[in-house]
Amino acid sequence: MRRLLSHRHAPALLFAAALTLPFVARAIEFSFLTRVGGVVGLMMLLSLGLNMTLGYVGLFDLGFIAFYAVGAYGTAILMRAHVPAPLAAALAVAAALAMRALLGVTILRLRGDYLAVVTMGFGEIARLTLNNLDAWTNGPKGLQVRPWRPLAFLGAIPGLEFVRKESNVQFYFLIAAAVYLAAEASRRLENSRVGRAWVAIREDETAAQLSGIPVARYKLLAFTLSAAFAGLAGSLFALWDQFVTPESFVFWESTLLVAIVVLGGMGSISGVLLGALLLGGIPLLMEATLSPRLIDYRYLFFGLILVLMTLFRPQGLLPSARREAELSS
Amino acid sequence: MLAQQIVNGLSLGAIYALIALGYTLVYGILAMINFAHSEVLMMGSFAALGAAALAPSMFGTGVLALAGLFAASMLAAGALNATIERLAYRPLRRHSRLTPLISAIGVSIILQNAVFLWVSDQSLAFPQPLSGDAFTLPGGAQISALQALTLAAALALMVLLHLFVEKTRMGRAMRACADDLEAAGLMGVDADVVIAVTFFVGGALGGAAGVLYSMSYGSTKYNLGFLPGAKAFTAAVLGGIGNVRGAVLGGFLLGFLEVLSAGYIPNGAQWRDVIAFSVLILVLLARPSGLLGERVAEKV
Amino acid sequence: MSAPLLSVEDLSQHFGGLKAVEGVTLSVSRGEIVSVIGPNGAGKTTFFNVLTGVYPGTRGRVSFDGEPIRGLAPHEIVARGVSRTFQNIRLFADMSAAENVMVGRHARTRQLLLGPLLRTKAFLEEEKAVEARAVELLDFVGLRSLGNERARNLPYGAQRRLEIARALAAEPKLLILDEPTAGMNPVESAELVSLVRRVRERGVTVLLIEHQMRVVLDVSDRVAVFDYGVKIAEGAPRAVMADPRVIEAYLGREGA
Repeated sequence: MRRLLSHRHAPALLFAAALTLPFVARAIEFSFLTRVGGVVGLMMLLSLGLNMTLGYVGLFDLGFIAFYAVGAYGTAILMRAHVPAPLAAALAVAAALAMRALLGVTILRLRGDYLAVVTMGFGEIARLTLNNLDAWTNGPKGLQVRPWRPLAFLGAIPGLEFVRKESNVQFYFLIAAAVYLAAEASRRLENSRVGRAWVAIREDETAAQLSGIPVARYKLLAFTLSAAFAGLAGSLFALWDQFVTPESFVFWESTLLVAIVVLGGMGSISGVLLGALLLGGIPLLMEATLSPRLIDYRYLFFGLILVLMTLFRPQGLLPSARREAELSS
Repeated sequence: MLAQQIVNGLSLGAIYALIALGYTLVYGILAMINFAHSEVLMMGSFAALGAAALAPSMFGTGVLALAGLFAASMLAAGALNATIERLAYRPLRRHSRLTPLISAIGVSIILQNAVFLWVSDQSLAFPQPLSGDAFTLPGGAQISALQALTLAAALALMVLLHLFVEKTRMGRAMRACADDLEAAGLMGVDADVVIAVTFFVGGALGGAAGVLYSMSYGSTKYNLGFLPGAKAFTAAVLGGIGNVRGAVLGGFLLGFLEVLSAGYIPNGAQWRDVIAFSVLILVLLARPSGLLGERVAEKV
Repeated sequence: MSAPLLSVEDLSQHFGGLKAVEGVTLSVSRGEIVSVIGPNGAGKTTFFNVLTGVYPGTRGRVSFDGEPIRGLAPHEIVARGVSRTFQNIRLFADMSAAENVMVGRHARTRQLLLGPLLRTKAFLEEEKAVEARAVELLDFVGLRSLGNERARNLPYGAQRRLEIARALAAEPKLLILDEPTAGMNPVESAELVSLVRRVRERGVTVLLIEHQMRVVLDVSDRVAVFDYGVKIAEGAPRAVMADPRVIEAYLGREGA
């Protein structure tokens, strides 16, 4: 497994395999699977984002979902102002980055659990503000977003006619591409001067500083960049669902993301993706497949799975592998 | 008006303080956020409800009924918390600090859903053993019987906790473990026992808070614990997590903050939690280890 | 004689009422190996912490290579050419030995985000150079064959040497070692002495805290003695060891 995953072409092959999902779903007449795939993909994007702060740098963030919210609401509000969708998405991502940078400048000198509780507080402030700021957000009733069909042109290709009408399929492709790019970007950064500095800070902040790393600046960099993935995920979510409410951005979602990163393997891209697939996909698949008698038990099962996975794989599902140096001359 | 707000703030703060103590005691020893603590207090409240169903006289009024509710809740919550520690946290003690946090989240989900599925998904009426009118205090503020009880019970429990921690052998062992778990082990303290006792005590305080909180709402529900749990955790951090007096201070402060912002700020009820969290952030920016937390300089 | 590489004048570091370092004056010339000795709690590590920017210092001047450095941030001091190791080994435990050394290269490299994201030629070249330098330094400290081991899995003595390789990766002019032989047996200590000498042959000046007198005599050109935060003696190793004040600082303390 490990060898397979570390193969040079593994990411591209996995991506290609993922692209077949809508066709499989169509073949087995289980179109819900495509939707599950899209939701899991958003979860992967978010987890890759959180992995950058929590996984690489070890910054404990319990309010990450707030930046998903910024991406989603930013897009929704801009779409209602008749901004073209791609521009709305880009601006929403920029807004998420800017807010994250601002938050980071203010709170990043806090350490450990103090940082966790402050991010949790910020997450709740964000959600409650969305809930209360009726003039902008329409409060708990949420905002409708006009439809956007990004990949309708694919319908012109023979064999892909069904894509024209199915927004689930179109957004699945778009999300899959975003996940692929995010994972690739993470991988490239991880194996670079920046990534090494991040992991060094996680391992020993003082030693990192005394090895020449401007720790505060690099923390801020990781903290800020991670919002790009969250903002993008939020934007795709708003465009896909055409509806946003504060309900989607509750504290529970932030804790789920922390669970994905820790259980997947801190700082391990493949681990985090697998974690998102399992923890994001299991409840949805249970929803679709459990018999009516058992369906109410899905969250109970989910809790059990979480505890058992932690007890049996405390180091994470796929702990990060270190890059091998070329030692022979 | 202000006097009334103070009374309300004190009684709400007392509940937060009791819950915050549970977080802080555990944190003091294991440096771990016991995420399942909010469910422990919910389970305590349901244990009291269950006891009342078995002994219907507890639905009556009077000291006995009251004592029965507290005993059932505190014992059950304490035992549950210690059991959770044994099963879900202890095996992970040697791993990264975040690992037990994840199993705590899992336990939290299990407990909520167990009650949701097997007890009720609705609010259930909670016994109201208190009778009697509100007193009028000098200054014109009214204090209800329940508020008086809340303050008295919280105060009594805090005094008991103080005596336990300061005056007993077990309390000394707890402090030794909080100071340095490994060193305490080398000195012959059985850390496993001390940790179990700590979880029991913290859980029992949460159980007491669960009864008081349910009585103030007149009902209990499977997700009762989440909100006061999250707030009390905030309070513990505000005071300086790991610090017992800090938890009490933070609890009362948060209680006041909530009551005052609801009472004096336009639309305050809607924004009360935003205000509470904003104050938390501001306080921590000024004092990064909380109000009473020690600033630990890193040794190089 | 040229100007000293490091020149410390009247340096103090107080913590509240505690004078951890008080009025220390010391200079280190290029190419020297200077040891700082003294009883536990004499302020040696605190002194190093001020030199490397961990503490700001309360009073006094520190100039390095002719420029004042007191109060600069640690990473700025590294950039100017001062690197260090730690009394209690502080490696990046979950990274490989080679990566530890590559991290040490941070101050001498440039690439930020675009380089790695677009895999530009400049980035790939820099990475290659960083890796080559890491391998060379691992070789230098005798750890080449262990380069892909995680730091946490290395034997104790190897961890100490890895810390030195990481510090050297920043191309320091001055290397500061905080008790490099702590916990080592005589054979390992002797190996370390020869490593320190070879470090000097690379043109790096060395300042170290040392407790083993054997090592101090073997390796130092000059010794400074601290007691209660004050420098009580300085000079050639054997002369200093014979100094009655030094003997008293050690024996007087131990006899008490």
